[in-house]
Amino acid sequence: MSSAAGPRHPKGPPRIEPTGRALPYLSALLDSSVGAKLVVALTGLGLVLFTAFHLVGNLKVFQGPAAINGYAYFLTHDLGILIWVARAGLLGLFALHVFLALRLHSRTAAARPVPYRYHATVRASAASRSMVLSGVVVGLFVLFHLAHYTFGAVKGAEVEPGRVVNYLDLKYRMPSGVEVHDVYSMVVAGFTTPWVVALYAAAQVVLFVHLLHGVQSSFQTLGLKNRRFAPAIRALGFLVAFGILAGNLLIVFGVLAGWAPPIHKSA
Amino acid sequence: MEREAAAETAAVQGADPHPTHHPMKLTLHVWRQKTRTAPGEMVTYPLDGISPEQSFLEMLDHLNETLIRRGEEPVAFDHDCREGICGSCALMINGLAHGPERGTASCQLHMRSFRDGDHVYVEPWRAAAFPVVKDLATDRSAFDRIIAAGGFVGVNTGGAPDGNALPIAKVDQDRAMDAAACIGCGACVAACPNASAMLFVAAKVSHLAQLPQGQPERRERAQAMVGQHDREGFGHCTNINECQAACPKEISVEHIAQLNRDYVTSTVSAVVKG
Ligand code: HEM
Ligand code: SF4
Ligand code: FES
Repeated sequence: MSSAAGPRHPKGPPRIEPTGRALPYLSALLDSSVGAKLVVALTGLGLVLFTAFHLVGNLKVFQGPAAINGYAYFLTHDLGILIWVARAGLLGLFALHVFLALRLHSRTAAARPVPYRYHATVRASAASRSMVLSGVVVGLFVLFHLAHYTFGAVKGAEVEPGRVVNYLDLKYRMPSGVEVHDVYSMVVAGFTTPWVVALYAAAQVVLFVHLLHGVQSSFQTLGLKNRRFAPAIRALGFLVAFGILAGNLLIVFGVLAGWAPPIHKSA
Repeated sequence: MEREAAAETAAVQGADPHPTHHPMKLTLHVWRQKTRTAPGEMVTYPLDGISPEQSFLEMLDHLNETLIRRGEEPVAFDHDCREGICGSCALMINGLAHGPERGTASCQLHMRSFRDGDHVYVEPWRAAAFPVVKDLATDRSAFDRIIAAGGFVGVNTGGAPDGNALPIAKVDQDRAMDAAACIGCGACVAACPNASAMLFVAAKVSHLAQLPQGQPERRERAQAMVGQHDREGFGHCTNINECQAACPKEISVEHIAQLNRDYVTSTVSAVVKG
């Protein structure tokens, strides 16, 4: 009943013909519900990998200012052009993930125009049914997070009573004598502010919910799941989601608890 | 002996020897819609004299006889075999496709699954691709077009092939049979929050993918059937697994993973060979 399908691309995705031309081939793939979902799963897993590396790197805050500031300097200076390649890749992953997931969702919204008067569910988990909501919240948080720590646009750090310095102007002298950006003081200034702590903690819980369904769902989407491995994959999904939650909360609350003492005695 | 004696005493005392056989009274809320385009509504029908031994469809017959006697239009609903093998019956009962019993089509659901005095909501499958024809009957020809798009095998005609000419491993046989059990009822679509028919498509693709006869068209089949699925206006699969719980043949979502695998391999082979 393509006529009853309403606004949804009436001719549907064309079949993938082996023409050897990349562009029509790619657009046919991304136009198909299974093809687009495959890309959502791959980009989702890519983002999970990034999040895990990001977490491990940030745990260096507990090794003291020299460790994390040196690491940040390595990333932004020693990697040279590579950091921009990585950033572009990450932006691409994020944009593809969000765009395709939301496009699939908006098309699927047209698949049941008349809702049930009485609806019950048997298997559907709350996490699986709220992927769009949890995803959008995580996305908005990522924008805030970038504005906060990458662009220094949210708040400054009080280095001495009454003297507030923009995050990006905080400097640190490495033991080698090089003056670098003081990421350590920036993180400490952020996570000793109660509303920042609350916001980050809440966002981590939402990310946990997104990954709770997302990780194991990716395996199914990629065809890497069967009945025998399903429990193991569900456990893996939980471990990944929980590990990311626990690690990130450790940073947020650890700094709040004073495990990373401030360099500048402002308080 | 003892039980007979007990039944006899009960009969003498005027009690029903099988207390579950008491006729039940239910309040039905049924979707009524005159034509494809007419606006529909839920209409309430109190109904008594329902036997717990009746099937759900027999209970609807009972309702229809009552309506006909009153000179009202009977409720239209699809049915054929009434033994769970044809896939015609399609009722959303209290928000669950084919009602509360697992692994059961509406025709095999018995009224003993309900309690005296219950309110029961009966609605048609809801999906853009399954437009309502009348009352509880929907047009499920979208499934026929998905099958036509690729759910077939090319074979030579002629004499019956020798039974043992093509050995098939037991595991493959079992998996193919599990998928082939799909009766095409559409409960997976009805139950899916996305109105996706991925379990149906997967059952058909996976059933043929397990068998040697299904190999020649295997790659094209996954592409063609998924393409037709999308064209019909079904939603995408988000691995919620509600379909597996609703399916009267308990088809596993494992077959959706098989469909996804076939989709990936056919995509990759199109790149490599193209
Ligand atoms: C604006 C941000 C985001 C939005 C709107 C979003 C939205 C979605 C949606 C709608 C899905 C599909 C759910 C489904 O089909 O069941 C999904 C899946 C997924 N997301 Fe996100 N997401 C976002 C950010 C993220 C981030 C930051 C990560 C990782 C850290 C992530 C990891 C995943 C994973 C692993 C999946 C599973 C793919 C699958 O179900 O096959 N997402 N996302
Ligand atoms: S997969 Fe199950 S629910 Fe879906 S059409 Fe086949 S038998 Fe019905
Ligand atoms: S009427 Fe045939 S399966 Fe129910």
